[in-house]
Amino acid sequence: MAAVGWLSKDVAVIAVPIVTILLGILIGWLGQRSGFCSIGGFRDFFMFRHTRLLYGYLALIGGAFIGYFVFWMITPLAFEHFFWYLTSGLTPVPGAPAGLLVAGYIILATIGGIAVGLIGVLLGGCPLRQLVMTSEGNVKALVFVVGMCIGAVMFTAWLSGWVVALMKGLGIA
Amino acid sequence: MAETKANENKSVLDGLARNPITLGILIGVLAAFVQGLLISAGGPEAYGFCVACHTRDVVNDAVNSIAGTKLAIAPISQNAILPVLTVIGVLIGAFISAKVYKEFKTKTGSSISYIWYLLGGLFFMAFALFMGGCPYRIALRVGYGDVVAFIGLLAIIAGVLIGIKIASAMAEREG
Repeated sequence: MAAVGWLSKDVAVIAVPIVTILLGILIGWLGQRSGFCSIGGFRDFFMFRHTRLLYGYLALIGGAFIGYFVFWMITPLAFEHFFWYLTSGLTPVPGAPAGLLVAGYIILATIGGIAVGLIGVLLGGCPLRQLVMTSEGNVKALVFVVGMCIGAVMFTAWLSGWVVALMKGLGIA
Repeated sequence: MAETKANENKSVLDGLARNPITLGILIGVLAAFVQGLLISAGGPEAYGFCVACHTRDVVNDAVNSIAGTKLAIAPISQNAILPVLTVIGVLIGAFISAKVYKEFKTKTGSSISYIWYLLGGLFFMAFALFMGGCPYRIALRVGYGDVVAFIGLLAIIAGVLIGIKIASAMAEREG
């Protein structure tokens, strides 16, 4: 059963690039004004007890919950599995490599999360901050974004398949 | 008088734009709004904004068109006439803002630093995709009620703490 949103499928497939690029321009503009950074929020809080960026990230989680809740009340069909835990249990929202057991997803989220936090702190920012710094003329951030592009292809072409095979071999998939 | 009023309004707006809480709430609410608008085109859910996944969709779609490969992308990007272009939008929006406010300034680094940033971006992307999203999609998934995403969020915090330890140890050795 496919989810149904406010636009019909014929219109939505055309609207996807237009709506997302406009959303991106707004986020990029405000991201440049505010210096918004998810990992920077935790870093500044733990190092200096600065809460400015952290509150931004917490507001994002809160805003998402309120947004999903309100729009789900209006159009439940577009938010089929909200609130995810109550409709689908511990199995995560699709996105990570498909077909693993819950234990496998928890392992991937733990290892992935630690690596993401670590790299983000050592190289001065989360991926949104790197995109914004690229647009401000920072060549190091540009190189980071190029690395992300290469990483995306490597992940899809090889890494994802290798790790899923390894986890199946270990019996956690 | 009218002018001071206009200036006041402008500074209030500018203050809002500079406050990260404004952008945080906007990303959350608009990501939900975009899902309501576009979900007929395809899933997954809680996919309104993600730097890692949306970059993957754009890059893999481009590679597929150029090299004729069949690298996987999210259903919404597969079904639509073009993939989700949020990341391109962010680059454009931040560039316009940096130009308008005269904050654009070319900053270069050493060759060694470029190697670190290239590898950093590469591994960041791979680990984020294993987790099923960058910190932004993790936030959306937490708001959507995904427990594994919450574990991912705790892991990110642990990674930040480890990173701070490493960074301060490195700073001490150099200092």
